[in-house]
Amino acid sequence: MNRIVLRRKMFDWAAIAFAGFATLFGLFWLAWILWTTVSQGLAALSPAILTEMTPPPGHDGGLANAFYGSAAMVLLGTLIGAPVGIAAGTYLAEHGRHTRLAASVRFINDILLSAPSIVIGLFVYELVVRTSGHFSGYAGALALAIILIPIVTRTSDEALRLVPNQMREAAFALGLPRWKVTARIIYKAAASGIMTGVLLALARISGETAPLLFTALNNQFWSADPSGPMANVPVVIFQYAMSPYDNWRALAWAGALVLTAFVLALNLLVRLAARKGRK
Amino acid sequence: MASGHTVKAFDDELDELRATIAEMGGLAEAAIRESMDALVARDDAAAAAIVERDARIDALETEVERMAVQIIALRAPMADDLRDVIAALKIAGVVERIGDYAKNIAKRVPSLEDSRIRPISLLPEMARIAGEMVHNVLDAFAARDADKALAVIDRDAAVDDFYNSIFRALLTHMMENPHNITPATQLLFVARNLERIGDHATNVAEMVYFARTGIHLAERVRGADAARIAPGDLGA
Amino acid sequence: MNDIATMIGAEPAAGAADEAHPAKIAIRGLDFHYGRHRALCDVTLSIPAGSVTAIIGPSGCGKSTLLRTINRIYELYPDQRATGEILIDGENVLDRGYSLSELRQRVGMVFQKPTPFASSIRANVGFALGHYERLSRSETDDRIEDALRQAALWDEVKDKLGASALSLSGGQQQRLCIARTIAVRPEIVLLDEPTSALDPISTAKIEELIHELRQRFTIVIVTHNMQQAARVSQRTAFFHLGSLVEYGDTTDIFTNPKAGRTKDYITGRYG
Repeated sequence: MNRIVLRRKMFDWAAIAFAGFATLFGLFWLAWILWTTVSQGLAALSPAILTEMTPPPGHDGGLANAFYGSAAMVLLGTLIGAPVGIAAGTYLAEHGRHTRLAASVRFINDILLSAPSIVIGLFVYELVVRTSGHFSGYAGALALAIILIPIVTRTSDEALRLVPNQMREAAFALGLPRWKVTARIIYKAAASGIMTGVLLALARISGETAPLLFTALNNQFWSADPSGPMANVPVVIFQYAMSPYDNWRALAWAGALVLTAFVLALNLLVRLAARKGRK
Repeated sequence: MASGHTVKAFDDELDELRATIAEMGGLAEAAIRESMDALVARDDAAAAAIVERDARIDALETEVERMAVQIIALRAPMADDLRDVIAALKIAGVVERIGDYAKNIAKRVPSLEDSRIRPISLLPEMARIAGEMVHNVLDAFAARDADKALAVIDRDAAVDDFYNSIFRALLTHMMENPHNITPATQLLFVARNLERIGDHATNVAEMVYFARTGIHLAERVRGADAARIAPGDLGA
Repeated sequence: MNDIATMIGAEPAAGAADEAHPAKIAIRGLDFHYGRHRALCDVTLSIPAGSVTAIIGPSGCGKSTLLRTINRIYELYPDQRATGEILIDGENVLDRGYSLSELRQRVGMVFQKPTPFASSIRANVGFALGHYERLSRSETDDRIEDALRQAALWDEVKDKLGASALSLSGGQQQRLCIARTIAVRPEIVLLDEPTSALDPISTAKIEELIHELRQRFTIVIVTHNMQQAARVSQRTAFFHLGSLVEYGDTTDIFTNPKAGRTKDYITGRYG
């Protein structure tokens, strides 16, 4: 009996050791990336980041226009995409839960979720940029929206499906019509789940580079007008990081740090809100 | 018989309850028979033993009560089971009283000196029938047989008839010779006890019937089968 | 299923109400299917007004299914269908033309798991009020108070009507659901195992509540707890494998049931 127990224990330790090493391995790279980003980025961080425009090579400057452009396009993209996603999720969860149509929609949605973002960028390029003749912030926002929609659809669908069926039945048993049940009861119950989904999708699109490459392009100057090319952080990082100019590379690191910090802050916000909601 | 309960312990408890009632019945039946034997043989020692053994019947009644309360509290019996438990509780009380009547018969043995009174030949037969009634009704309870219970009720008429005959005969004896009054009265009490045993056996039969079917038999008139004294029996 | 009744010599009208109370709900020839599977077979049952009727039976016997046909809540699911008639005060509510909204105002339902909505206590109770009636603010408040009093919850929540309904205990939440249901003043209240998720004290409070509510409503309660059925109801129906086996006064069913299957079930000899 002892030998079996001993062998089991050894196997147990081996498995734990292996899992531990794998975790450390993953954490190691993560830590290195973060360390590099923070150390390089902090060096270039200064209040000028927020006040000055992207400079020509060799000159000092900031990322103000890039921050503004990113913020504008991300917000616009969310404003366009979130309602569509939530509505689609509502359809999947409430109206067509077990129908063939819903199953197909979910399937297609999952494909879109993992579609290469550059393909989406190309699609919007052909549709909007080529037909309008110029790059624009609107095209960028549209591309971001198209990336956002499948994410929000998926998370809304799941958040709504988490609402227990008995609550729906209780609402219907009171004689309320379907739209009232969905709007006033189901949404309220799933609100935190849906919000979480939207915020996480927002965090995701704030770092998307490929679609912006040929929709919004980039703009060296202050670009508050979305009908023209707009500066944005990811593309700036892309351009500046590969350049031979030191100050450009420093700015790229600074941008990367700010972007990372933003995504981190957003995730923390979501977690805190979830914990408060659970209380 | 329906299949057993899903919880087997419940079956065991009900069986134990029945077994205790059966034991009480056996003891009461024996007491009736032995007290009559002691009466006929004028055996004071045997009579004293019967009186002592009655304590056992009383103890068993307490036991039945305890078990019944426990089953009701812990098992929440329904329908048939509930009626059975309630019937068992009541039957135990009645059997205990039957035992007491047999004991009373035995108690009178020492006070009977004169063995020359004739009606004493009728008493053993009356006792035999009463004992049989007790035996049969407890069989009916054990077997949950409503028809057997009804049969017992019918036999009570025979016991009542015996009582009437004995009563008349003893009355005659008392009128013949004043010296006969004391022993005759004692025998009269004995006969009365046996008649009451018959009535109680009938009560048990009604309870058995109710336990089996859930139907209450119509209230029987208690006094109707008591001695009917014809006006011409008293005095010339 | 009438064969059983005739075999044991019981009254032929197994589903009849008694003469003292007229039938509020008359179920006739009800069949129910989940897809291909038949869950209820030719059920005929009359439920008297102003009393509590309990429906008991082993798992899968169709008791919850029966309850859910009365307010047609099964229609939320596409592959479930019912045929037959359910007459409430003489009108067939299974008829396609009968307004679901009106049906669900007349027939309220409380579920096994308490389902308070994610809003305040006041909002919960008053939720459906605005849908059926035009009420002023004070009238609404009065109705809410009335419903909470009837549900024996007013004293416990009168100072915190604005608090979230989710902050109440399980037993209180269930009473809140009852208040919410009776606020719209239905005629019939359906209870689907209302206390199976609650502790004994909350259960007792709700049983007492049922006892008081029966003066104003016709109550049908499904329960797998036989003792509860015995305690709260006046009439009891025993179902087995989708058929009505026996139906009668609660006292008779539990002291002297006529059908063998009923007897086996309630004495614990089933299975």
